[in-house]
Amino acid sequence: MMELLKNLQAYPPFSLLDAGAIKEFEYAGQIAYYPLETILVEAGHAFEVLYIIIKGRVEAYHDDELINVYDTHDSFGGIEHLKQHPSNERYIVSEELICYEIPKHIFLAVCEKNHAFRDYFIASLVERADLLKEKQEYSSMSDLMVSRLEKNILQDVCIVENTSDIKKALQMMESQKVSALLVRNQNNFGIVTDTNLRYYILHKDEQGLTTIGQIQTSPIISAKEGDLLFNVLLLMTQHSIKHLPVLNDKSEPVGMLELIDLVSFFSNQTHLVTAQIENAASLEATIEASKRVIIMIEALHSKGVKSRYIAKLVSEINKKTYTKLFDFIIPKEWHEHCALILLGSEGRGEQILRTDQDNAFVFADGFIPDDVEKISLSFIEALDDIGFPRCEGNVMVINPKWRQHAADYAQLFDLWVENPTPNYIMDMAIFFDSVCIAGKKSLHTDLREELINKVQQYPILIRHFAKSIENFDSALGLFSQFLTLHKEHKNEIDIKKTALFPMIHGVRALALEQGIGVTNTYERIKELNNNGFLSREDAQAMIEALEVINTLRLHAQLKQYNTKKVISNYISLSQLGKMERDLLKDALKTVAHFRKIVSYHFQLSMVG
Amino acid sequence: MFGSFKNYWQKRKLKDERFTFLFDDPPPDEFVVFDTETTGLDCKKDNIVSIGAVKIKGNRILTNEALHIYIKQESLISQESIKVHRIRNCDLKGAITIEEGIERFLYFIGNRTLIGYYLEFDVAMINRYIKPMLGIYLPNKQQDVSSIYYDKKISLIPQGNIDLRFDTILDALALPRLQCHDALNDAIMTAMMYLKLQHSHSLR
Repeated sequence: MMELLKNLQAYPPFSLLDAGAIKEFEYAGQIAYYPLETILVEAGHAFEVLYIIIKGRVEAYHDDELINVYDTHDSFGGIEHLKQHPSNERYIVSEELICYEIPKHIFLAVCEKNHAFRDYFIASLVERADLLKEKQEYSSMSDLMVSRLEKNILQDVCIVENTSDIKKALQMMESQKVSALLVRNQNNFGIVTDTNLRYYILHKDEQGLTTIGQIQTSPIISAKEGDLLFNVLLLMTQHSIKHLPVLNDKSEPVGMLELIDLVSFFSNQTHLVTAQIENAASLEATIEASKRVIIMIEALHSKGVKSRYIAKLVSEINKKTYTKLFDFIIPKEWHEHCALILLGSEGRGEQILRTDQDNAFVFADGFIPDDVEKISLSFIEALDDIGFPRCEGNVMVINPKWRQHAADYAQLFDLWVENPTPNYIMDMAIFFDSVCIAGKKSLHTDLREELINKVQQYPILIRHFAKSIENFDSALGLFSQFLTLHKEHKNEIDIKKTALFPMIHGVRALALEQGIGVTNTYERIKELNNNGFLSREDAQAMIEALEVINTLRLHAQLKQYNTKKVISNYISLSQLGKMERDLLKDALKTVAHFRKIVSYHFQLSMVG
Repeated sequence: MFGSFKNYWQKRKLKDERFTFLFDDPPPDEFVVFDTETTGLDCKKDNIVSIGAVKIKGNRILTNEALHIYIKQESLISQESIKVHRIRNCDLKGAITIEEGIERFLYFIGNRTLIGYYLEFDVAMINRYIKPMLGIYLPNKQQDVSSIYYDKKISLIPQGNIDLRFDTILDALALPRLQCHDALNDAIMTAMMYLKLQHSHSLR
C-alpha cells in the first residue's frame, strides 16, 4: 500500500476505514499540487473530489469572511458530497498545497458501505466530540463527569423515629456500624451526626434531652439517586457536610453518602483544600491552604473533569477563602456596612487559574470606615501572598475608585451611561459581572440592579456596549495572519481575545439587554435559551464551544505554570492534536456564527 | 537537432515494431517519474528487483494508475541488499520476469519525458535490459530533479557546495517524508519534488 495512505490512516476519519476501502481510495486517488492562491472551489460550485491535505493549508471564505482553515491531514468537501450540496464557501490555497484527491463517486461508495466513516462527516460539533470520545482517544475524559450517584457508593441508612430514646438510638448506631442516623419526623427527616452528639453530651443535663428528635438537625440537605457525583461533591463542599442522605424518586431514603467515600472516588485534593481553608484559624493558615488550589485543579484536569465544573468548584473554594480573608482582615465594625464584591471573571465564577484579581468595596451611605487605606492594602497583600496577580486595569480595593459609598457608585453609573467611552463601557461590563462575596449583600444587589435599570433606559447604549465584540478580529482571521504578522507568536493564537472575549461579551450584552440576573456565561446562555432568544442547537453548540475553548486554555496554562512560564492566553496550534484542532476549529466557527447573531441583533454595522 | 538525429539512428535499430511509439513526439504536459530498487549499485552486474512509476499530468500525480512491479530473481537476494531496499525473497511472490517487467514498463512510459532522482543510474539499469531485447537505449527525454534543484540553488549560493541528498531536497522543499522507501513511494516523492520545483522561483 502507498505510504501516504498509511499515514492518513493514523487520523480520523480515515482511521475508521478498513483495508478494502483504503484500497479503493488507492486505486482512484490522485495527488495534486496547487500553488499559492489557487481557488480550489468557488462558492456556489460543486466539489468534484474529496480533498485530503498532505501538506499545506487551505482557507475557506464565506463572503470575504474567513470561516475555516484546513491543515495537514484535514479533509474537506465530504459533507457537501454527502448532502449533494454546492460549496457555501470559497476555498483558497493559503500555503502551497499538496493534496490527495478522491473522486466523488468513490468517496460516496465508501460512505455507503462504511457508516461510521460517513457519520464522521455528517456529525455536528457535539456529536463529533462524542464520537472521538468513544474512540477513547481521550480515554479518561468523561468517566468522572458522567458518573452518577448509585447505590454501590452508599452506606446503609439507619432510620429511627423522632420520639426514640437517645441511648437506644445510639446503640442502634453502634450495632449497625453507621456514623449518622436518619430521624423520621413531621418535617420528613432529620439527621444526627457527631456534631449533634457533642451537643447532646454538653447540654443533656441542663436541657433534659431524652429523645433523638431533640438533638436532630432538620430539615436535611439531601441528594437524589442518579444525581451527578460532581454536583453532589459541590453540594457537600458548599454546606460543609460529611453525611448526605440520598433519596429516591419517592423521597424515600436509599442510603447515606459519606464524604470520605465520595472523596476517595474522586481521590483528589478537593476535600483536603476545602477543609484546610475552612479550618484555617489564622490569616497565614488561610493563605497557605489557598495555595493548594492549583494542585487540586491539576488533579481534576488530568482526570478530564470539564473545565466548567472545575471553575465552579474553584469559585466555590475561592468564596470560602474570601470570606475568611474578610473575617480576618476587615474590622468587625465594617461587616454590616460594607460589601466585598468580585468583578469580571471572578464575578462570573469563570476564573480557574489565578490570572488576576478584580475586587471592590461598597460602603453604606453615611458609614465612615477608619483606616481604609491600610486595611485595603493588607487585604490586597493577602491576595498577593495567595498568588492572585494584581489587576492590570487596577480594579482593586486599593484604588479609591473601587471603594466608594453606594451613592457615589450611583453617580459613577450616571457618568458611564452618559459618556459611553470604551473605558466606561468596560467598567460597566465588569460591574455587570459582579457578585457580592462577603459583608452586606443588599448593598451590592441594589446597586447592580440600579446599573441594569439605567443601562436599559438607553437602548443605543447597549448597542455601543455590544460593539466591543468587534474589537478583535475573528479568531480564524488571526489564525492565518499569525504566521506572518506576529514573529514571537508564530503558530499561536490568543484564545482569549479571539474566541473567549467575543463569546463572553456577546452573551453579556444580551444578558444585560434582556435583564438576565445570573453572571456565569454558561448560565446566561441557558437563560437566553430558556427565554427563547437562542435556539436549543445554538445554545448547545455555544456551551460546547466554550467548554472546548476553556479546556484548551486551561491545558495550555497549566503547562505554562508547570514550566514556570508566564501564564498567557496563547495556544500553540502545533502542539494540538488533530482532534483538538478540529474541535477548536469548530468552536471558532461557533464563535463566528454567534458574533453574527449578536451583530445582526444589535445592528452593529450601524453603530459608529 | 543532434537529439533527433540520434533518435532517428536508434529507431532504425529498433528490433521490435511494437515499440515504435517510443519515438513519437511526447505530450507536452505528461511525464513519468520512476525509480528502481536493485540488488546493488553496479549497473553492469546488479539486477533490478522492483520498478515503481507514476505519471504526472499537469499539476497532478496520477497515483491511481501507478506501476509497481517486482521482478523474479535468478538467485536469492543477498542479506546486504535486503537491508537496503527491505525487499525480502518472500516479498517477490507476485513477481514477473524481467522481460515482462520491461515490456510493461515501456508500455507505461510510452514516449513521455522521464523524471527521476539520479535518473542516470535507473536509466542505465533499464538500458542494460532493453539493449539486448530491442536493440536500442531508452529514447525518452530525461530530467533529473537533483539537477533542477541544483540549478535553482546554485543561483543563490554560487560557490557553495550543494547538498543533493534525497532527504535534504525533501526538507528544503518542505515536503512530507515518507518512512517507507520502496520504488513506488520514492517515485511519488520524486514526483512531488518535481511539481514543487516547477512552481518554485526561489529556494531557501
